[in-house]
Amino acid sequence: MAVSAYLQLAIRILTVAVAVSAPYIFAAIGEMFSQKSGVLNLGVEGIMMLGAFVAFYFAWAHENILLGIILAIFVGGLMGLLMAFVSVTLKAKQGISGIGLFMFGWGVAGTLFRLFVGGVQSISGLQDLNVSGLTDLPYIGRILFSHNILVYLAFLLVPVSWYVLYKTPWGLKVRAVGSTPRAADTMGINVTKIRYQCVILGSMLAGLAGAYLSVAQANMFASDLVAGRGFIAIALVYFGRWKPFGILKGAMLFSVANGFQRWFQISGIAFPYEVTVVFPYVLIIVVLALSHKKFAEPTALTVPYDREFKG
Amino acid sequence: MIKKLSVISFLFIFVAIFSLTGIGSAEDEAVSIAMIFPSTIDDMAWSQAMYEGVMSLQEELGDARISNVSYSENLYDAVQVGSAMREYAPNFDIVIAHGAQYQNIVDDVARDFPNTTFAYGTSYNAMHDNVYAYDPHAEEGAYLAGIIAAHVTETGIVGVIGPVQAGDAIKYNTGFMQGVESVDPDIEIRVGYTGSFGDTVAAREMAETQIDEGADVLTGSAQQTVGSIRAAAEAGVYWLSTDIDQSSLAPDTVIASQSLNFKEVVRYMIDARADGIYGGEHLPLSFENGFLTYDFNENLAHLIDDELQALIDQTIEQIISGEITIEIN
Repeated sequence: MAVSAYLQLAIRILTVAVAVSAPYIFAAIGEMFSQKSGVLNLGVEGIMMLGAFVAFYFAWAHENILLGIILAIFVGGLMGLLMAFVSVTLKAKQGISGIGLFMFGWGVAGTLFRLFVGGVQSISGLQDLNVSGLTDLPYIGRILFSHNILVYLAFLLVPVSWYVLYKTPWGLKVRAVGSTPRAADTMGINVTKIRYQCVILGSMLAGLAGAYLSVAQANMFASDLVAGRGFIAIALVYFGRWKPFGILKGAMLFSVANGFQRWFQISGIAFPYEVTVVFPYVLIIVVLALSHKKFAEPTALTVPYDREFKG
Repeated sequence: MIKKLSVISFLFIFVAIFSLTGIGSAEDEAVSIAMIFPSTIDDMAWSQAMYEGVMSLQEELGDARISNVSYSENLYDAVQVGSAMREYAPNFDIVIAHGAQYQNIVDDVARDFPNTTFAYGTSYNAMHDNVYAYDPHAEEGAYLAGIIAAHVTETGIVGVIGPVQAGDAIKYNTGFMQGVESVDPDIEIRVGYTGSFGDTVAAREMAETQIDEGADVLTGSAQQTVGSIRAAAEAGVYWLSTDIDQSSLAPDTVIASQSLNFKEVVRYMIDARADGIYGGEHLPLSFENGFLTYDFNENLAHLIDDELQALIDQTIEQIISGEITIEIN
C-alpha cells in the first residue's frame, strides 16, 4: 500500500472511531460524576439497555427520535433515582445494588421489547449532519464533520463537564463530597443531596448513551444490544482517572484500536483472530497498568456516608 | 343439604374421572415438547428457526399430536441449563437443547430419563438411545451463497462477518469460500469475527468496515447478523442469509437465504417415537433429505439470471449426488 492509501485508511478508522466513541463518552462522563461524589454505579449497562429500548421504541412506533432520546434520558434519571435511594439513603453495598440495577434494567428492557415490539425491527435512525463544504475539507473534513448531532454533543460534554467539575461551586461540592464527606458536611454541604444529583445526572447520561446505540448507531434494537459497553464505560472512568479529558482519551484510544483490529482482521494477514479481537481491551489494561501517575480515585468511593457514625 | 352436597361431589368426581381418562387417552398419541435456547425465540437466526419449526408443526398437526410446547431462552451456563433440563425431562416427551454447547449436559441428563427423547445440535454424536444429534450441513447452502456472491459482486471483494471461529461458523464460512472460488478464484474473500454471537452493534461495525474497505456482498452467521444486515441495507450492498429467511429485515438487501427446516426434523422425531424409537441417531440437515432449503427473495430476482439459476440448480443436484463435496478443515 502506498503512503496515501495508509493515510486514507487512517482517516476512515478515525472517522468511525469519533462516531463510535460517543456512547462511551456519555456513559463514562456520567459515571465519573457519580463516582466523583462517592457512588460507584455498576448499573450503567442496565440503564443503557433501558435507554436504548425507550429511544428505539419511540423512534419506531411514533417515528419521533427526539422524543425517544428525551424519554431515554428521563428513564435513565429514574433508574438513577432508584440507585441513589438504595445506595445513598438505604446505604446498601454499592457493588451489589449496581449489579442489581444492571440486571433489572437488562430484564425490563428485554421484556418490554418482547411485549411492545416482538421481534427485530429497524428504523432509519438519526441522520448525519454532513455540513456542506466542511465535509469536503482535506483530511479532517470527514473525521470532524460527517457525524450526527449527538456526536458533537458528546465531544462538547467533555470540556463542559471539566468546567462544571473544576470551575463551579457545585463541582467543588461534588469533589468534596466524594473525598471527605464529613468535612463537606461540616461545611454545610448536603452530602445526600449532592450524591443524589450526581447519581441521577450520571444515569441520565447512561440513558442517553443507550439511546445513541439504538437510534444513532445500530438503528435497531435487539436482545443484549449494549453487550458490555456499560462496563467498558466504567473501566474508562478508571482509565481516565476521573477526569473528562482522560475519559475522552480512553474512549478514543479504545475506538481507534477497535477500528484497527477490524481492518486488521479483514486485511487477510494470517494472525489468530482471537488475539486481534481482544487487542483493544488488552491495550486499555496495559496502558492503565503502565502509567505510573498516582490514582486519583475519590477517597470516599463506595463508602456510604453516615452522619451519626462516631468513628 | 347433605344430599345436595353429595350430589355435587358425585358429579365432581364423575367429571374428574371422565376428564382424567380423557387426558390419559390423548397422552398416548400426543407428545409434549420442551426447548432450551441459547438466545431468544425472535433472534431472526438459529433459535427462531427451531422455534418457528416447532410452532408451525404444532399448528399443522394440532393439539391432538403436539399437546404442549414450552421453552426457556437465554440459557448458556451449565448450571442453569442442567436444572432447566432436569425440570423438563420428567414432564415432557421431547426435550430439545438447541446448541452444541449443551452436549455434556444432554449426556448427563439423558441417562436418567430413558423414556424422554433428547435432541441437541449442531453435533453428530447421538451418545444414547434416547438422544438425537442434529447436524445442519450449513456448508451446503453456504456454497450456493458463495456462487451467488461471486456472480453479484462488482468490486471483486466479498465479506464474511463471523461470530467466533467454531462449529457452524467454520462450516458456513468454509462452504462460502469454496463456493466463491468455484466461480472465480481471484475474488477476494475477507473474513472478520466479532468474538461474540449476540453483539449486534459489533456485527454492524464489522459490516461497515467491510463495506468501507470495498466489499459489496456480505454474509455471516449467528443472531448478531441482524446488525450487519442493517448496515448492508443502509449502504446499498447485498446480503446472503443463513439459518432462517431474513429477507423481511431488508427486502432490497437479502438476495437469498439458507433455511434450517427444523419442522421436518421434529416431525421425524415424533413419528419415530410413535414407532417406539426414542433417539440414538445422527440427523443431518441437508439438501438431500430436504431438512435444508434454499430460498430466493423475489424482490431481487433480477440478480439471478437464467444462467446463474441453472448453475444453482445443477450445484444442488451435485451436492446431493456427492459430485461436489465441501471439505471442512
